[in-house]
Amino acid sequence: MAEDNGSSRHMSASQKELGDEDARVVRVGDAERTNERLEYAGNAVRTAKYSPFTFLPRNLFEQFHRLAYVYFLVIAVLNQIHQLAVFGRGASVMPLAFVLIVTAVKDAYEDWRRHRSDRAENNRFAAVLSPDAATQFSPTKWKHVRVGDVVRVTADESLPADMVLIATSDPTGVAYVQTLNLDGESNLKTRYAKQETLTTPPRQLTGAVIRCERPNRNIYGFQANLELEGESRRIPLGPSNIVLRGCELKNTTWAIGVVVYAGRETKAMLNNAGAPTKRSRLERQMNRETLFLSAILIVLCMIVAALSGVWLRTHHTELELAQFFHKKDYLSDDKNNNYNYYGIAAQIVFTFLMAVIVFQIMIPISLYISMELVRLGQAYFMIRDTKLYDTSSDSRFQCRSLNINEDLGQVKCVFSDKTGTLTQNKMEFRCASIEGVDYSDITRQQPAATDRILVTKMPVSVDSELVELLRDGGETEQGRYAREFFLALATCNTIVPMIPDGPESENKVINYQGESPDEQALVSAAAAYGFVLVERTSGHIVIDVLGEKQRFDVLGLHEFDSDRKRMSVIIGCPDKTVKLFVKGADNSMFGVIDKTMNSDVVRATEKHLHSYSSLGLRTLVIGMRELSQAEFEQWQMAYEKASTALLGRGGLLRSVAANIERNLRLLGASGIEDKLQDGVPEAIEKLRQAGIKVWVLTGDKQETAISIGYSCKLLTNEMTQIVINSNSRDSCRKNLDDAISMVNKLRSLSTDSQARVPLALIIDGNSLVYIFDTDREDKLFEVAVACDVVLCCRVAPLQKAGIVDLIKKRTSDMTLAIGDGANDVSMIQMADVGIGISGQEGRQAVMASDFAMGQFRFLVPLLLVHGHWNYQRMGYMILYNFYRNATFVFVLFWYVLYTGFTLTTAITEWSSVLYSVIYTAVPTIIVAILDKDLGRRTLLKYPQLYGAGQREESYNLRLFIIIMMDSIWQSLAVFFIPYLAYRKSTIDGGSLGDLWTLAVVILVNIHLAMDVIRWNWITHAAIWGSIVATLICVMVIDSIPILPGFWAIYKVMGTGLFWALLLAVIVVGMIPHFAAKAIREHFIPNDIQIAREMEKSQDSHDATHPEVQLSTMARA
Amino acid sequence: MSSQAVGSSSGGSGDGDAPRRNSRKPKYSKFTQQELPACKPILTPKWVISVFLLVGIIFVPIGLVSLMASRKVVEVVDRYDDACVPDNMTDKLAYIQNSTIPKTCTRTLKVPKDMNSPIFVYYQLDNFYQNHRRYVKSRSDTQLRDANKANDTSTCDPEGMINGTAIVPCGLIAWSIFNDTYAFVHNSKTLTVNKSDISWKSDREHKFGSNVFPKNFQKGALIGGKALDPNLPLSKQEDLIVWMRTAALPTFRKLYGRILVDLKQNDTITVTLENNYNTYSFGGKKKLVLSTSTWLGGKNDFLGLAYLTVGALCFFLAFTFTLLYLIKPRKLGDSNYLSWNRSPAGR
Repeated sequence: MAEDNGSSRHMSASQKELGDEDARVVRVGDAERTNERLEYAGNAVRTAKYSPFTFLPRNLFEQFHRLAYVYFLVIAVLNQIHQLAVFGRGASVMPLAFVLIVTAVKDAYEDWRRHRSDRAENNRFAAVLSPDAATQFSPTKWKHVRVGDVVRVTADESLPADMVLIATSDPTGVAYVQTLNLDGESNLKTRYAKQETLTTPPRQLTGAVIRCERPNRNIYGFQANLELEGESRRIPLGPSNIVLRGCELKNTTWAIGVVVYAGRETKAMLNNAGAPTKRSRLERQMNRETLFLSAILIVLCMIVAALSGVWLRTHHTELELAQFFHKKDYLSDDKNNNYNYYGIAAQIVFTFLMAVIVFQIMIPISLYISMELVRLGQAYFMIRDTKLYDTSSDSRFQCRSLNINEDLGQVKCVFSDKTGTLTQNKMEFRCASIEGVDYSDITRQQPAATDRILVTKMPVSVDSELVELLRDGGETEQGRYAREFFLALATCNTIVPMIPDGPESENKVINYQGESPDEQALVSAAAAYGFVLVERTSGHIVIDVLGEKQRFDVLGLHEFDSDRKRMSVIIGCPDKTVKLFVKGADNSMFGVIDKTMNSDVVRATEKHLHSYSSLGLRTLVIGMRELSQAEFEQWQMAYEKASTALLGRGGLLRSVAANIERNLRLLGASGIEDKLQDGVPEAIEKLRQAGIKVWVLTGDKQETAISIGYSCKLLTNEMTQIVINSNSRDSCRKNLDDAISMVNKLRSLSTDSQARVPLALIIDGNSLVYIFDTDREDKLFEVAVACDVVLCCRVAPLQKAGIVDLIKKRTSDMTLAIGDGANDVSMIQMADVGIGISGQEGRQAVMASDFAMGQFRFLVPLLLVHGHWNYQRMGYMILYNFYRNATFVFVLFWYVLYTGFTLTTAITEWSSVLYSVIYTAVPTIIVAILDKDLGRRTLLKYPQLYGAGQREESYNLRLFIIIMMDSIWQSLAVFFIPYLAYRKSTIDGGSLGDLWTLAVVILVNIHLAMDVIRWNWITHAAIWGSIVATLICVMVIDSIPILPGFWAIYKVMGTGLFWALLLAVIVVGMIPHFAAKAIREHFIPNDIQIAREMEKSQDSHDATHPEVQLSTMARA
Repeated sequence: MSSQAVGSSSGGSGDGDAPRRNSRKPKYSKFTQQELPACKPILTPKWVISVFLLVGIIFVPIGLVSLMASRKVVEVVDRYDDACVPDNMTDKLAYIQNSTIPKTCTRTLKVPKDMNSPIFVYYQLDNFYQNHRRYVKSRSDTQLRDANKANDTSTCDPEGMINGTAIVPCGLIAWSIFNDTYAFVHNSKTLTVNKSDISWKSDREHKFGSNVFPKNFQKGALIGGKALDPNLPLSKQEDLIVWMRTAALPTFRKLYGRILVDLKQNDTITVTLENNYNTYSFGGKKKLVLSTSTWLGGKNDFLGLAYLTVGALCFFLAFTFTLLYLIKPRKLGDSNYLSWNRSPAGR
């Protein structure tokens, strides 16, 4: 209501200046004048982000949006200051440069591919009406097509820009387009050229003006009007008159249109926004630990700075002559000049900053790039998983967002759409109630006769009694209503029948193309009962009524919208009567039906509707009214006025529709079955076992929703149902309060007996509105979390998002939304993880989703298997990266304590730079991509194992602290064992540094090796390979004669002490980790550990009994 | 509805469906399905105990051998920095800085046990931060190596250039070269100290040029240490080469030379030394060390003790774990331990 008022007010205010300010003016066939004043975009598209000149600055700018990179940049800059130069120029910039270059190369490659496709796209040819040659279309490159150009497109060609149709090869002006590239829907859409322009040769249209709305991204909306030269009348243009760039012309020999939006202003390009960027919970948690690490880093630096101050203070008298300090610059002219010494205070500050430079890798720079690579690897495996491949739609799993793989392992709450997600969205007409008589008796069902010339593609079973009634009972009251009923089904829709060309005699399969599966089912049903829709143009439809072709004029059509929840057509029948047919949802229809007319029928129909919906059928109510001439004319005026309005047209049309759709006569109701998808009950059962709450949000009626709930095992008989279903604010409040007291009562009961009564909350959209309006969300939340299952029926798309938001705001539970239709988009975007089902209802859900797949049941392997793996792998990798870099930093730190706190490193600067990039990076990435804690079979067999991710068992503060303690211990072992052994010896810095380098690299790799669960050859190669690679790198570095540590590694490797120390370091370093692991795994085993052992014994059992394995393989 | 199976089968994956010509079905491979054959080790009690026992069994003998090796090393350490200052000099700094005071000093060493040749002669400096940042960076390795790069002294401050010409070898490290000398007399016979081959061969051949000669060395206001023979190429200046292998730790030894004579227990050796090097300014200590050597290097009990301790600890852990496993045994892979089976079930 409020919206209507608003839009109409807006409209009345703006109707006058329409076309002058708000609209874009397109002069047909006159691109020069169209473009002379206002700069409309040309048709060249540019999806590439960079040009060769802007690449470097723009790419760097984008990369430095990452705070961590700024940190490393600051450090690299600090290092360039003379007093602070810890590393050489090259070494200090190298890690950052490495990361930047890898990312830049990746970006450049992607952009190059975009450039290439842009070029191919822009250089395609389109036939454009040239102003010189008479009625001649000349080939023009797409990039030179301009707004206002008249373009001719032939069958199977792509459309170069958004165009208003002016003529097509079809005499009635119909053109069919496939919007596969735009929204992924493969069915054909009908578009019409206006009758007024159909017959005019294109050149004579020059001078006509199209005023249309500004470019916007709504691909289902378009408002414009056309003013022909010399005529003051404005012809209204709507979404059905425009064909969009990216679509293909089908089943139409040619079509001519005027370009109204070109290039980046086309709807396709405006919709070309990238996938939404979300950040995974693990990454957000990781920031907390990164802060801890920063704190540790600052503490370390402060310790060093403070100690260096103390050291300088206690030694300040000695500094002048100590050979290693040499405070004064004796060789300069001023003999009292200090050399590079600015007093203790300044030295402390310098030391602090230098310490930050030396210890910088405490914050693991390579972690970010590792995470990206790991996610890429995980995505590869998810996409390649044959278990996530849907045969019926030939679709693989899709990873549209690469940032939240690991969130799949922590989901606690699944919000699912019903239609098309739990169900197949392949509608089948099941039963009809006509004039209060129910035709749903199973025993009378029989396959529809196939001996007719025209056969529908969808097989429908028909009720034999009804067939007879239609055939013979033309005179009876009941028979007339039955005919009207099926006539309504055949006319009141937007379906386009496609009949293949071919010899007349043969049976032909009619393919009903349409956007709504329900309509397809209804039209097919009508056809099965003998009311075959055979032709549709913009002005009329042809229906084969029981073998006799009849032409009906379509005088008006009020499209379905979610406010009215019904659609209607106004039909001029062959007998010159004008009829209004309306079909819609029962609650909206009973409001406009004249109940006084036949109250018995209404009551009977309501009863039937109830029984249909409790069978899980989708119901529609059909009504009609014959219009008097006066009524019709009045409507026609209002309708034309509304449909030519440029602004607020939708609201106007709605009110026109609401005016005419009243006092209807009830014809009957239909029941359509939407079959469950394969494996849905099992999947829901598994998800529930995994501790995931499943919420179903559907637009269906409560009864339908509940019955589907039962059939997919969402609801079970032992569940206590709490129903909140109220029509007013007060009753809703009361309902909610009752529910809370009930929940509390049950909760207090259950604590005594330990047996929890499962609860199910069933709530409808109206109640939700009241609850959200009156800020009683917290009460609802309280009830909802206590329930195992929540079923929301009759919810609008935005309410779906509201419900998801309710849970997201109030709990830390990870939410996942899964849906297939445009109405699920808001919910998919709102949830932490959004999954789109690529099904019947187009691809908008997929476009908005993070992941897309073909079937609901894939949720089980996706979450329980891949999600579990991803989470476990990523969690471990992050912890390990922290640990690995911290260990190295601590080793550096201990050494600093023995250098007069001057931040000398025995480890060469190149080794410290390469440490996190080369020495230790590959194994962690490989392990994070390939390691599996448990096999697929086990994870699916025990869904409860999923709880590990929900309880955050792979990554939490406790694990972080433990691994940091391990890190300190290992660094102590690495540093002090060689230190104590080499005290008072001739050991030089280079040799000791090499020993430390190797020791720490081997130690962290062995640590990783100890935590690897599955060893395959790749893991072996990565771990042992990187130790070898380290050795080679160290050898190469030590073969450079101008480095101080020249030849040290060769020298030190020749001594027995080196090897003895290496062994001692590794053993001493690993003992705590090993012992703790042994204790943890044996005495306080977690579920995963037990399951691993079970898996292992199963494996050995399989090995000894191969035939058992074969049989289980066959089952899997 | 959308499945229009094109029946051109060419031997498919036997999934029941007729394989489509352009099916996007991922190809099956062990890799993509993450089913590569893999080894899945589990830390069973057997493994844990065996690992600890194995480590113990390896470590204890190594520990014993190292300890024995370390014990076999005979080491004579003599701190002389304090003792060599004449008793009447209270200001040690003044003593060492005064070049007119003779620095010769005689020390007598007693050989505690038989020492077999070669006997290594080291000098040991304590509290000398050869790893101090100011110090360790102050060198030019390109200059040492290449006669043409004598002017590469940018890294050598504050001992890089003197009066506008480059110092070779430049930098604090070279400047501060140790300059005490030792002469040994045994049974009134001079013990020759073999000073050749005390540095790394790689350094002599590749790091210090055979055509690079000292230049402008020790010409500044403050003399750091020894002066170098300007006629000897750097590759022959082995003391310099040894000195420039900077020590990792602030207490370190450097090889002075070798004595290639066996010494007997209770022999006394008289050392005549020139006490030139200034460690008094920063409280450093100077020690003369005579030591034999084994495969393990010099005398250091730490390694042996460490190995013995770790070995013993591992035996102890093996024992403890055995005990723990006996006290609290758990059947591996018993599904009763799964948390959802473990929770006290009401019904």
